[in-house]
Amino acid sequence: MSRPKKSAVFLCKCGPNIADFVDLEEVAGWAEKIDGVEMIETHNLFCSPDGMNAFREMLKGKSIDNVIVAACSPKMHEKTFQNLAGETGINMSRVQIANIREHCAWVTKDKTEATTKARALISAALCRAEHAEELEHRTMKVNTDILIIGGGVSGMEAALTAAQAGRKVYIVDREVSLGGTVIKTEEVAPNMECSPCMLAPRLSLVKDNPDIEVITNAEVTDILGFYGNFTAKIRKKARYVKDNCIGCEVCFAVCPVEIDSPFHLGMGKWKAVHTLFPGSVPAAAVIDRDACRHFVDQSCDECRKVCPFESIDFEQKDEDVEISVGAIVVATGFDQDDMSAYPRLGYGRIDNVFTLSEFERMASSNGPCSGEVRLKNGEKPGAVAVVHCAGSLMDDGIPYCSGICCLSAVKTGVLMRAQNPDVKVYNIHNDLVLDGPDRSRFFSKAKKEGTVFIKCRDTGTVSVSENNGRISVTADGLEPVDVDMVVLANGMRPSVGTRELAEMLNVEVDQDGFFKADHDMLNSTGASVDGIHLAGCAAGPCDIATSITRGRAAVGDAISRLMPGREIELEIMTACIDSEVCAGCKLCISVCPYKAITYDSEKQVCSVNEAICHGCGTCAATCASGAARAKHFTDEQIYAEIRGLFVS
Amino acid sequence: MSDFDPRIIAFVCNWCSYAGADKAGGERLDYPANVKLIRVMCSGRVDPQFVLSAFRQGADGVMVLGCHPGDCHYRSGNVKAMKRMMLLEMLLRQFGIDAERLKLDWVAAGESEKFQRITKQMVEKVRELGPLSLDGYVKSEVA
Repeated sequence: MSRPKKSAVFLCKCGPNIADFVDLEEVAGWAEKIDGVEMIETHNLFCSPDGMNAFREMLKGKSIDNVIVAACSPKMHEKTFQNLAGETGINMSRVQIANIREHCAWVTKDKTEATTKARALISAALCRAEHAEELEHRTMKVNTDILIIGGGVSGMEAALTAAQAGRKVYIVDREVSLGGTVIKTEEVAPNMECSPCMLAPRLSLVKDNPDIEVITNAEVTDILGFYGNFTAKIRKKARYVKDNCIGCEVCFAVCPVEIDSPFHLGMGKWKAVHTLFPGSVPAAAVIDRDACRHFVDQSCDECRKVCPFESIDFEQKDEDVEISVGAIVVATGFDQDDMSAYPRLGYGRIDNVFTLSEFERMASSNGPCSGEVRLKNGEKPGAVAVVHCAGSLMDDGIPYCSGICCLSAVKTGVLMRAQNPDVKVYNIHNDLVLDGPDRSRFFSKAKKEGTVFIKCRDTGTVSVSENNGRISVTADGLEPVDVDMVVLANGMRPSVGTRELAEMLNVEVDQDGFFKADHDMLNSTGASVDGIHLAGCAAGPCDIATSITRGRAAVGDAISRLMPGREIELEIMTACIDSEVCAGCKLCISVCPYKAITYDSEKQVCSVNEAICHGCGTCAATCASGAARAKHFTDEQIYAEIRGLFVS
Repeated sequence: MSDFDPRIIAFVCNWCSYAGADKAGGERLDYPANVKLIRVMCSGRVDPQFVLSAFRQGADGVMVLGCHPGDCHYRSGNVKAMKRMMLLEMLLRQFGIDAERLKLDWVAAGESEKFQRITKQMVEKVRELGPLSLDGYVKSEVA
């Protein structure tokens, strides 16, 4: 130490809150005798306008090194006094709060004991302050562009919102065109609105917006960097069709190869060259390399011959691109729970047992049977059973309620009756999750129009079996229901690849495997890492409206925190590693929850990326050599604080 | 030993336990004055050396309080604290220090009553154990 430090001690009475329980005069008398204490000031309420003025005036021109404020919890006014002291040139690290209100005056009945404790807390603060090291506010330049992973309704709305604010947006989707799950549904409940009609104008807006770059048939392969400065590596898979393709479908007619269409959930066919649906964005077709005869045995290039725009390019290669962004919105949606995992439900084993999404695809006019729901033998079903909670709310299935399947399950009857007014529809359910006026009305209407709702106390016992060419649905306490077709209302699971993507982004997933929100209520669209935002069903099951709201909220938060021309504030109390002392053992890397520490194999030392570090200090507690230090919570400061508690 | 007033140092994490102690203050839930708190950002910051230093400098008992598992502000610092304290307990026994003088627990920001309860219990426990005395090698070289 070059010269003895000079300290000022401020004693706040907090009206009667401290003064009545702690003998502050005695404390002042005691403090006076401590070496280095140059000034002791008492005030009735230092956080009042008068008190703050007095605090500032008392410090002006006094060449004080350390400031001890004995008052309320640092959670109340640490910043207040740090800022005030800062105005007189004192670094924030040199302002120490002794919490003599919450941790002393208010919890100690005996005034003598409270006074002794107050002295100890002030003594600890004085000792700690001796070892303070200057802290500085740090800022960082940021990229304000946004990457959106997933181009369903949520991702698209997020993109449109950010683009509206003038931001450059990239949407990356592994499908060949945008639209996600919703585009595969024709009518959405409860208003029975046509979803392609609803989405088509939004797709056009995305397509026509010069600030939105759509990258489909692509996957994010790596994410480097951190909040404000991410680099995303993206693999654009070869389409074998150039971007100038307008999706005119001339080549579809000449393509000799028919394959199962994933768009129709395997129930319909498309050609080896295809688009997801007419009018998709992007419009360009794609060739399935595994099926196309040009690739299989070089026996065909009919599509190339007929293409009016010379768009077919068999030589196209996968392409790796890198983009730089400041924030990432994850809108990767969900997958339907696989019904073949529940043999008792008959799916995949018994004909005419479908999932809800398969039923909806059949009922869609652009679906595999042009909107006419048919049995496998081509006949119209006379009776349909809809099984609610199929695979859900069970230990060996999905343990939770997805919250939206009931609505679609009720829709089944409405869609069926539109095709055949005489059809019998039985909904076998336990709970019915149909909240809000619109959904309640929708349910009442379906019931009135003829859907029979059969209460089943334990949907986990529902069993589907063949019965003389028909299907019988049974359950504990239920009269068997004989029908021609069964629709299983299955729940929502995290989309395939969620875990891998979470790992890449270094964010957490929740117990059900969805992306974990930073906080369920306060920040439900933020992931556990700064700069990663959650939209749509990536954060858990939700309906279309919520999905879109989440998308807008997620991107709104992202863009309001990353403003062009404005730098972001970095954590002040980060960790740092002294490269002279570091032995390169990498223990710190193993404990850092944010992957903020990297190893330099050339210098054989570790270093902290202070833009990522959150300042928890666990690396400092782990470091065997003392190279890792937690700023403002250094070993020296803690040891001094302990000492201070005992020397008063 | 009934008049023995044990000195307890509690390392508390900034986000949950410190806030829980603040709430105890707000609700005027009294606890023995010889329980004194040292704030760290995360219970994962508590180097076992801090605990040893507290014993060496005069503590009769040490508490390490963090967020409940799963609630850590820094994801998993509390779990690391738990692992370290389990090892440290073994070390304490080897030093002849009763492992019950070290107490790891979780206090959420809302758990003012739990904070009061466990600090009182700790004081009672350490009162039973009596003052910590460090002798011989442990006193001169280790603690």
